[in-house]
Formats: sequence, structure tokens, C-alpha cells
Amino acid sequence: MKQMNELRKYLWIARISARSNLSYVGDLVGRIVFLATVLFIFLKLWQTTFGQTGATHLGGLTLTQMLWYLTITEAILMSAPKVAQLVDEDVRTGALAMQLVRPMSYGWYRLASALGERYVRFTVNLLASALVTFLLVGPLPAAAGGLVLLAVALPLAFLLDFLGNFWVGLAAFWLEDTSGLLLIYSRGVLIIGGAFIPIDLYPPAVQPLLRWLPFANITSGPAHVFVDPNGGDLLALLVRQLAGAVVLGALVLLTYRAALRRVFVNGG
Amino acid sequence: MNNKNKLLNWLALAGAYFRLNLRAHMEYRGAFISQALAMAVNDFVWIVFWTLFFTRFPVLKGWDVKDVLTIWGLAATGFGLAATFCGNARVLASLVVQGQLDAWMLYPRRLLPHLVLGKMSASAWGDVVFGYAVYIFFVRPDAAHVLLFVLLSLSAALVFVGFFILAGSLSFFVGNAEVLAEQWTMILVTFSTYPETLFDGAVKLLLYTLIPAGFVSYLPVAALHHMSLPYTLCTVGGALLVLAAGITAFYVGLGRYESGSLIEMRG
Repeated sequence: MKQMNELRKYLWIARISARSNLSYVGDLVGRIVFLATVLFIFLKLWQTTFGQTGATHLGGLTLTQMLWYLTITEAILMSAPKVAQLVDEDVRTGALAMQLVRPMSYGWYRLASALGERYVRFTVNLLASALVTFLLVGPLPAAAGGLVLLAVALPLAFLLDFLGNFWVGLAAFWLEDTSGLLLIYSRGVLIIGGAFIPIDLYPPAVQPLLRWLPFANITSGPAHVFVDPNGGDLLALLVRQLAGAVVLGALVLLTYRAALRRVFVNGG
Repeated sequence: MNNKNKLLNWLALAGAYFRLNLRAHMEYRGAFISQALAMAVNDFVWIVFWTLFFTRFPVLKGWDVKDVLTIWGLAATGFGLAATFCGNARVLASLVVQGQLDAWMLYPRRLLPHLVLGKMSASAWGDVVFGYAVYIFFVRPDAAHVLLFVLLSLSAALVFVGFFILAGSLSFFVGNAEVLAEQWTMILVTFSTYPETLFDGAVKLLLYTLIPAGFVSYLPVAALHHMSLPYTLCTVGGALLVLAAGITAFYVGLGRYESGSLIEMRG
């Protein structure tokens, strides 16, 4: 009963976060326009590449699959909530001390809020970018099956990204500024996460390493099981995601405990 | 005051603001260095992307990896110089919406120079260093090409300053245009860093008008390729046009500005 009440509390936070995000129409439209632009550029880039090489498949994907793959990676990338910035702000302004006295865990509160926001942003991004991609290259064969597998892969992908961001935000306890660290992390997700080029097109020697890093399991992994649905690939992805979540989760916990020892609360 | 004196006067003002802003950043040296370094690393990650791409597919409709590195160098230095010297231009939309122009209006000169020069972006230093470094160390040009590259990067900076002002001035006309200005700018940056040969027809027209990426990187790359005076003149001419459009939009929009009655402390 107590656990249910706890869970209900965080679900409520996720719901509030999701609803408040739906109200920022300008932000939403701006994001969709940018997404459409990026997808258009990618289409041109890969259309040219496929045309020049004369290949029907690159990295195991057809042109249609490639663009749908990029649709998913972009929708995931552009749905990222500003977790690191919020944690950084809470640390610097001292708001963290206020959060600590509330009857809820700060980490779980941030997670619930981030997931609520992320699912709304991702759904909107997906709908908009899917429409653009459909108009550019047509439908994806086996899209329904892929959508189910994507839905299974997303929760752990979002959790991994949250943990990475939360960890960066906690660095504010030691660093003057965390924006640089955040930039490097986000570029890690972008490039070595395979968001622009499928991991299969990287040099074969580095592919196994890239697959096991958390970055690829946030973007590339879910996108791949969407465009090429396969139960075995999904299972392997879930194992890698779970392993990444355990390692990152442990790092976050250790850092958080060390950080809390640096919190001083003065009355007044 | 004749035009030469006006220009010297403006440059003196820019120099004074530059020193002042840099000194302010040096008070937080660690944050300044880490932001600049992170931006350079961020840019470098894109070089990794393109190197990987061209390793796999060596030529893209006549463009090779050096051409793409050159447009990255131009776009990064242009953007970096604009945000280093005119950091407030980048956030003009929010300054207008929040009614924060009041304080700048009290200065004894025209409003726009003071306003745009008033802030320096720390991370933009990373763009500037990266842009020049990538061109010199990866493209390995001769001295003449380096000189032309420096000139063209200054021209690209003018495009970005003009474009920042133009996009930010939208707030005078449509209310809160922060998101619109940001996305429009990001679209310009994105198009400026992809080969021109990917685009044709109406899109190409857009790239020399509403999204002037052509003046940031496409024409300059052609100028560097052929060491061509006509291409260089077209580049600089286009940059001046974008700057003029930005300045015009700002002063036309200023007539619609309403004070925010904001009380703030300024150091």
C-alpha cells in the first residue's frame, strides 16, 4: 500500500510535467519545423549517397529504412528534457535544499518529471516527423511490428539518457559550469550513438564497443529495432540497456551521495 | 563626422567592449575555458562524423572531405566571431520581449552598436579557435588561401550578426519570437554546414535569401577553390546586404517597442 502511494505520487508528477509541456505551442511548432528541415537535409544527403554508390542497401538499410531510422533517432534526440540544466540550477540556486526536505526523493522526482515531459515531446516529434518522412519517402514496410518493438525499447533508452544527464547535472557540485560537459555528452549521443550514421557503417573494429556504450542504446538501438524488427535484436538491446542502466545508476548514486555531503543548509 | 571617422569610432567602441567583456569572463576563468573547450570539442565531433562519412563514401557530388572541412571552418569562425563580439545580437529576441532595451537607450550613441556589443559568448571562442585550426591543420592551405579564408570568415561573421539582428527583431512585430529566432538561426547554421550540391531548385533560392547559408559558406568555398575575386566580392556584398536587412528591421521595429519598466542593477 505504501509503495503504491509512493508510485502514485511520482506518476502524478509525470502527468503534471506532461500537461505543462503540451501548453508551449510555440516551442512545439519551432521544434517540428527544425525537425522537418533536418530530415529534408538527411534525405538529400542519403539520396545522393545511395545514388552515387548505386547500392540498394547501406549498413543493411534501404534508403526508405535509412530515413525512417533517422526519423526515430531525431525524434528521440529532440525530445530530451533539460535534466542536467535543471539539476545544475537546483544546485547553484540552493533550490536542492528545498527539494530535500520534501516528502519525496529528489532523484525520483526528477525522473518522473523528465519521463512525463519526454513522452509528450517524443510522441509529438514522432507524429510530425513521421508525416514528413512519409511524404518524402513513403511508408516503412513492417512499421506496425517495429512500433511495438520501439515501444518496448524506449523506456530503458529514456532512463539511460536521464541517468547520463543527471550525472552531468550533479557535476555542478564540483565544477563552476557544467554546460561544457553537457555539450560533450550530447554530442556523444549524437555521433558515437549512431544518431546520424547507423553503427553498421562505422569501422568494424569499433562497432562492438559503440554498441555497448550507453549512447547507442539511447538512439541507434531503438531506431534499428523499429526499421528492422527482430526479436533477437530487441533482446540483445534490452540486455545492453539494462547493463548500462545498472552501471550508470551506480555511478549516479555514488556521485549523489558524495554530493549530498557537500550540502549545507542555513536557516533563515 | 565623415565615414572613415565613423568607422574608426565604431571600432574603438567595439575594442572597448571587447576588453571589458573579456575581463568579465576572466573573473570566472574556469567556466570560460571549459565552455570554450567544450564548444571546440563539440565542433570537432562533427569533423569525426564527416571524416567517417567520407572514409566510407569518398566523394559527394564533386565535394570531398576538405571542402566540407572548409565550410565547417567558415561557419564556425563566422558564428564564433559574431557571438564573441556581438553576443547580445544572439539573444535580441528575448531582450526585446522582456523590455530590456531601456537601459541601452540611455547611452550617448546609436542604440544598436551598444546593445549588440554589450555581451560576449564564452563558448563562441571555441568556435573561432576550432574554425581557424580545422582549416589550417586539416585542409593545409598556402598563405594566400589562409589570408582569403580570414577575410571570408569576417564576412561570414557579418552575415551572422545581420541575421541574428534580423531574427531577433521579429520580437518587435510578432511578440515573443524567442523560439522562432532560435530555430531560424539553427536552420541557417545547419544548412551552412552541408554541401551546397545536395540542394537544388527552390531550396537553392532560399539558401541565398531567407536562409543565407550561401553567403556563409557556399560562395566562400567557391572563392577559395578558384581564388576568385568575383566570388569574394559576391560573398562580401551578400554579407553587407544581410547586415543592412538586420539593421533596417531593428530600427523599423524599434518604433513599436514598449518599455518593460524593468528595474535592474547594472554593474
